[in-house]
Amino acid sequence: MRGFRAEAGNAVAELDDEERLVVARIVADVALLLGADAFGLEQDAFADTVSDIDDPFEYLRGFEESIREPSDPAILRLLPNAAPTDREVADEFRRLTDGELRGTKVRRLRRMWDQLSQGGDEWVVPADEALATAAALTDVRLVLASRLGLKTDDDADRLHHEIELASHALDTDEDGALPIDHERVWLGMLYQALTWLQGTLVDFLDGTDEETDV
Amino acid sequence: MDTQRELEAEGGVATRLDDVWVTIVWNDPVNLMTYVTHVFQSYFGFSLEVAAQRMREVHENGKSVVASGPREKMEVDVQAMHSYGLWATLQRSGE
Repeated sequence: MRGFRAEAGNAVAELDDEERLVVARIVADVALLLGADAFGLEQDAFADTVSDIDDPFEYLRGFEESIREPSDPAILRLLPNAAPTDREVADEFRRLTDGELRGTKVRRLRRMWDQLSQGGDEWVVPADEALATAAALTDVRLVLASRLGLKTDDDADRLHHEIELASHALDTDEDGALPIDHERVWLGMLYQALTWLQGTLVDFLDGTDEETDV
Repeated sequence: MDTQRELEAEGGVATRLDDVWVTIVWNDPVNLMTYVTHVFQSYFGFSLEVAAQRMREVHENGKSVVASGPREKMEVDVQAMHSYGLWATLQRSGE
């Protein structure tokens, strides 16, 4: 994996086949959580038409009387309570914004999934889409962080330490001696890789700002 | 509409105009400091210095008031923050 850097006005990263597959899969999973159809399975022309509509959820959600707070903590982190001390304000906000927010997030994830599914090691993000891609990467990381139970800065530090210990144990074939939760370590490593990748994309964004300022 | 109700209606409008709300962004362990700073610059039009200062407030004090105004405007700002994956809330100013 190589982080994003500026190439001919675009932000370009490099991911091998397996890395692209893993990232595309988690991107599609997050979209599913948000209520989107499974990416890659819509083959008919109708689905293409629907995905061209700005917000495929907006007109469906307009009919719903009220929209309840998501019970899955990961979805709640993507669509948080906007007024924890005022139920009325929180409900009103959710009713007004839920459909549009889901639509925006799914559209950005879909764009990312399309780019990752194109084949070739390069992941090319046009400069004017870099912030939207960084936002979609945040959503994916928020879901992973929720699944990993990261609630505080200390939790994030502990995860980092945990992964270092596990990697060391695996490298030295000592994994039999340590109780390693392989799924947790794998998710943690994916989280860290996406954190690093997002960091390089934000660096790209800050770099292009400086250039425009000159 | 009788005079009393008219007065009440006007009073209601006056109260709404004075009704100042704030948008608060809260700390979380996920969002990168550089990303939060960039979002603040990009969305609110803050200078790098102001954006970085608000970001540090979020990181060190747990939260920062990033905007104030009528409730409707704060709803727009909070929605924008949520679209960027930042944890934001709105409330009446001073609450």
